Amino acid sequence: MTFMKATSVALLAISVAGCDVPKQNKTVDNFIDSKHLSQLKAGIWVDPNGCDHWIIDDGVEGYLSARMDQNGKPVCSGVAQPNTAAGGYKSGSPVADVI
Amino acid sequence: MSKNLLKIVAMAVLGASVASAGFAGNADNRVSSSRYVPTIWVDPDGCEHWVMDDGAEGYMTPHVTREGIPVCRRGNTCAVMNSDQLFAVDKWHVSATNRTRLKAFFRDSGASVYLIDGHTDSDASDAYNMRLSKNRAMAIANIAQSVGAKAQARWYGERVPVASNSTRAGKSKNRRVEIQCIR
Repeated sequence: MTFMKATSVALLAISVAGCDVPKQNKTVDNFIDSKHLSQLKAGIWVDPNGCDHWIIDDGVEGYLSARMDQNGKPVCSGVAQPNTAAGGYKSGSPVADVI
Repeated sequence: MSKNLLKIVAMAVLGASVASAGFAGNADNRVSSSRYVPTIWVDPDGCEHWVMDDGAEGYMTPHVTREGIPVCRRGNTCAVMNSDQLFAVDKWHVSATNRTRLKAFFRDSGASVYLIDGHTDSDASDAYNMRLSKNRAMAIANIAQSVGAKAQARWYGERVPVASNSTRAGKSKNRRVEIQCIR
């Protein structure tokens, strides 16, 4: 019962933060760290082949997208070792990772 | 009686199959879907990505044209060299003078990686031009690596022209090595 209460309070908090449930506008982050998504701060994740991907940890949401050159080929800059992430990809949100 | 029932069942099944065929064959040929309208995030290189926040989930994918070319607001091209000034016709040897110039360029430009793109005009076959542009791009990449720079060769033959191949001036423009400086 207490759990149910806590859950519904949490859901209420989220819906109040959003006022858009189920979320229709996918172009904004309505949580405490609210912003338009064009403001995201990325770092680089290097895949096992050594090629770069933009990585963004924006509080609750995570984003990953390929870094490509202007011809559509992967960029493999060697900026970091494979299987590592570098740069301020967690810097765009005050919401900490729980795990 | 049971024959009638069978007929009804058969008609119902037929009706269903006709209905689904009608659905599959409609103008759009689409399954039912919910509305997901993305916005655009521009990466530090200047290229666009589709991005969506679905509450607790985030989604992102590169914005490419139907031809597979990324949509970028600016490029990272930091040098375009005319092949006629670097190589003899059909060759990929780099002279000592040009080698010295290129070494200085790669030493001073300070990119984390250089992408060396070889291109040709449309004379000769596609396969020949792919091979020629590969050899030329790799020759330049080797010079970059000789001064400790990271470089990767790519080649496109005659497939990515920047000018018309029906004029002499256009052809000359298409014979080129482009260098992208990735920061």
